[in-house]
Amino acid sequence: MERFIERNIKWLFPLPAAVFIVSMMAFPVAYTIWVSLTDWSMTSSSAVQFVGLKNYIALFNDPRFFNAVKLTLYFTGLAVSVETVLGVGIALILNREFKGKNFVKGILLLPMVATPVAIGLAWTLFYEPTIGLGNYALQLLGLPASKWLASNTSVIPALAIVDIWEWTPMVALIVLAGLAALPHDPYEAAMVDGANTWQVFRYITLPLLSPTILVAVVLRGIDAFKTFDIIYTMTAGGPGFASETLNIYAYNLGFGYFKFGAASSALVALLALVLGGSLLVLWMRRTWEQ
Amino acid sequence: MKQKKHMDYLWYGLVLLVAIPFIFPLAWIVLASFKTQAQIVTTPPLWVFTPTLENYQSVFVDQQFGKFLWNSSVIAVGSTLLSLIIGLPAAYTISRYKQKVLGVFILLARLMPGIAYLIPWFILFTKLGMVDTYTALIASHMLVGLPFIVWIMVNYFDGLPHELVEAAQVDGCTLQSAFLKIVLPLSVPGILTASTLSFLFSWNNFMFSLVLSSDRTKTLPIAIYNFVSYAEVSWGSVMAAAVVIILPAIVLTMAFQRYVIKGLTAGAVKG
Amino acid sequence: MGKMMKRGAVFAAAVTAAAVLTGCGGSAPKAPEGQKLSGQTIRFVASNHTYTDAIKSLIPEFEKKTGIKVKMESYFEDQLTQKLTVELTSGSSTIDVFMTRPLQEGRLFSKNKWYEPLSPYVTDTKKTPADWKWNDFQKSAVEATTLNGNLYAVPIVTEWETLFYRKDLFAQAGLQPPKTLAELEAAAKQLNDPANGVYGIVSRGQRGAAVTQFSSYLYAHGGDFLKGGECVIDTPEAVKAIQYYGKILHDYGPPGVTNMSWPQAQALMASGKVAMWTDASTLLPGLLDPQKSKVADKIGIAMFPGGSAGQHPYMVVPWAVSISAQSKQKEAAWEFVKWLSSEEVMKKAQLAGNTTTRNAIWNDKDVLAKLHPGMADVAKQTGAIAVPYDRPVMTAVVEARDAIGDVIVKSIETGGTADIAGLAKAAVAQVNELLAKSGE
Repeated sequence: MERFIERNIKWLFPLPAAVFIVSMMAFPVAYTIWVSLTDWSMTSSSAVQFVGLKNYIALFNDPRFFNAVKLTLYFTGLAVSVETVLGVGIALILNREFKGKNFVKGILLLPMVATPVAIGLAWTLFYEPTIGLGNYALQLLGLPASKWLASNTSVIPALAIVDIWEWTPMVALIVLAGLAALPHDPYEAAMVDGANTWQVFRYITLPLLSPTILVAVVLRGIDAFKTFDIIYTMTAGGPGFASETLNIYAYNLGFGYFKFGAASSALVALLALVLGGSLLVLWMRRTWEQ
Repeated sequence: MKQKKHMDYLWYGLVLLVAIPFIFPLAWIVLASFKTQAQIVTTPPLWVFTPTLENYQSVFVDQQFGKFLWNSSVIAVGSTLLSLIIGLPAAYTISRYKQKVLGVFILLARLMPGIAYLIPWFILFTKLGMVDTYTALIASHMLVGLPFIVWIMVNYFDGLPHELVEAAQVDGCTLQSAFLKIVLPLSVPGILTASTLSFLFSWNNFMFSLVLSSDRTKTLPIAIYNFVSYAEVSWGSVMAAAVVIILPAIVLTMAFQRYVIKGLTAGAVKG
Repeated sequence: MGKMMKRGAVFAAAVTAAAVLTGCGGSAPKAPEGQKLSGQTIRFVASNHTYTDAIKSLIPEFEKKTGIKVKMESYFEDQLTQKLTVELTSGSSTIDVFMTRPLQEGRLFSKNKWYEPLSPYVTDTKKTPADWKWNDFQKSAVEATTLNGNLYAVPIVTEWETLFYRKDLFAQAGLQPPKTLAELEAAAKQLNDPANGVYGIVSRGQRGAAVTQFSSYLYAHGGDFLKGGECVIDTPEAVKAIQYYGKILHDYGPPGVTNMSWPQAQALMASGKVAMWTDASTLLPGLLDPQKSKVADKIGIAMFPGGSAGQHPYMVVPWAVSISAQSKQKEAAWEFVKWLSSEEVMKKAQLAGNTTTRNAIWNDKDVLAKLHPGMADVAKQTGAIAVPYDRPVMTAVVEARDAIGDVIVKSIETGGTADIAGLAKAAVAQVNELLAKSGE
């Protein structure tokens, strides 16, 4: 027995995990693709039928779908770009030894590990137009009040602010780790050449750091693209459809309208976008490294 | 010298400026959880007030958060332990034998948007009569935890010297007992990183529980969401509930800070 | 052993006493039945509603009386629909009794056979003694929970769109409660004073939620949701109504109205930040509770104003109780439903501020004495002219509400200046497609 295990360890060890992933992930994804080719809907009067690509045609004719794609990209782009700039800035500030560094790092961790649903609800209170802290802060700064979540122009930025609050620390911590791993030689050479701080950052730190920053951007991009909890709890896609991202759109189709066929086609589109985007980034990174 | 000291103050000021925005909302939640409704809706906000415990009473007595606390704990611990049991051996062979295909497959699970599983899971678990069971929730949460554990542990095992295992084999150890007796004890820091993160993911998970849990297995995120959409008015209780949910996550993070940072930044720097 | 005997004796005595008191002759078959059901536990899935709040504390009485244990859980309305659909789809739900919205879920749930047909229960004198007085239920309410001749739920609450207003602010401004939509707009304009933290009017503005409270505005303008199986939300009358609703809420409403369902609107009204609120009559208790409301003693209610096409507020059965067809304890479930909608319990619910469905209660002295001033009149007058639905009644109602609601949101955002006619046309196309798909 022992011998048998040892000889076959290559496939025995990963077997349970592989079986689990296949049954919990691969099978559901395949099933979703299958359902996306049927007209399964709880409100429909006819039996479930195979309809080919009909759901996809309907999807590409649904203005809500394109609205959702646009909003998802807008939310992701806005959140991740601000997080990157702020995160790199914070990492540069913290990149030296000082008393209480661990404490500050600990504080940075908190927004990331705090339960998103609870965070979303708290921010809903901050954003309340009449009693919320948000407008009070704007008023202190002498700025006009905002409607925050209640206006179709400010809702995405308002949601992005929450994401930025939650996840800027992650970019900062990744970059901080990257900074610690940088080689010393180029800096010594630059000192000898009398380069100023900005030049050192621009011509040495930034190029050396860019692979790390890129990884941070990719990780954040993928996760921001999939954001569900805070949007669902804070606006559920509203006002109107002004914050209905792909995730929320698919959820509404599936568990609001119980149109499983249509919802599945939206999910397949979402999957394609996430995987396509990830592959593109991986490919870009590889060609860029060479 | 003097100038340097001034610069130091300036710099500490800058650090404060960085830290405050991240701690402030959390501090505000804690403050608000001790306020009455009238105190919360007052503008400008009150900074000094007589605290009340009423909100916590409403959370634990009226809303029975004790039960949800228990559910969340069972599911988070259960999914983490099971993920470790099946994830560690897999990570080891992936690292040792460079099983790239399997590695990519598991990475895929990490990238996949969770919502993609919701409909099939819902249908599958309803057919099996397993909606609202711990099993269904633990299994679903494992799909977040397991890929993460494997992902972190492959990196970790990559860094271990193979010679140790080979030496043990020469001494007559089987590969599997070498894994148990030598590799795992050496990997405690990695395992701590992976399991803390896996626990947190499960603790905070909302989407899977939204569809798969019900009365019996309702977890904390669902519980707070449920009573909020009704008791919109009672902000104090909402904030108290938020504290109840967030606090364990924060305590755990503080206790394992080093590991959590490693986990969240894993794989990023190595390139 | 002795203790058990004693408890049994007390129980028997209680049953006998109850039988004597109610003068019901069916005590012989009733006693064994009570024993049979005793010890069962039923699961009751409720909505967060003032009716639920009122009866929650009474449930122990039911448990003591019957020996049936009740496990209750409650959800906000949309979550409730989702929860029910998810669980009932599984075919193996453990839900025994649930609250349902006839207009929202009636068709979908009936189509999927999730409701236990209740007609056989109410007509069976063994299951339903005459003293429960099924005939006392308002006829229109019973019609609302009957589909194709089958009773699928017992109606418990009625509601209609009403106007809540601040008596003090109206008196200060020398205004009378508006009788027409033109007066409503004028009053909203006059009372709107954002500088002092008071807005003229609030009503729901959240996508799907807005539709029901918009409906009375729609009918008053001469519009409707469906006509002859087609959506007609793009007629000139309907477009005018959407523009009107958008304009008053944009110009004289609080910020953030497009994210508001009733809890948010109620919170604003209760904190004294708005002068008028049009919404369901059942939301009154939240405004009168001094613990929740700063203006508890200043709330007036009036009939929903009339428009160019007359006065047509909706009056509907928003909530009813049903037994799940999948329940394994239907007898115990029925006992609970009967208790929940009994005259005694309903009266208590009504005294707690609900508007219920039994005629006797509306003539009850205690109830009349405790009713909010004007409530009985408004109820009576509204009942005479009311429209019996507040949304497009169809299977895919959730999606239809979203489509129509989006037009309303756009109108509120622009104060009615967007191309409402064009948007409404698009919504009509969507709704018609939904109707066709579900074979309606």
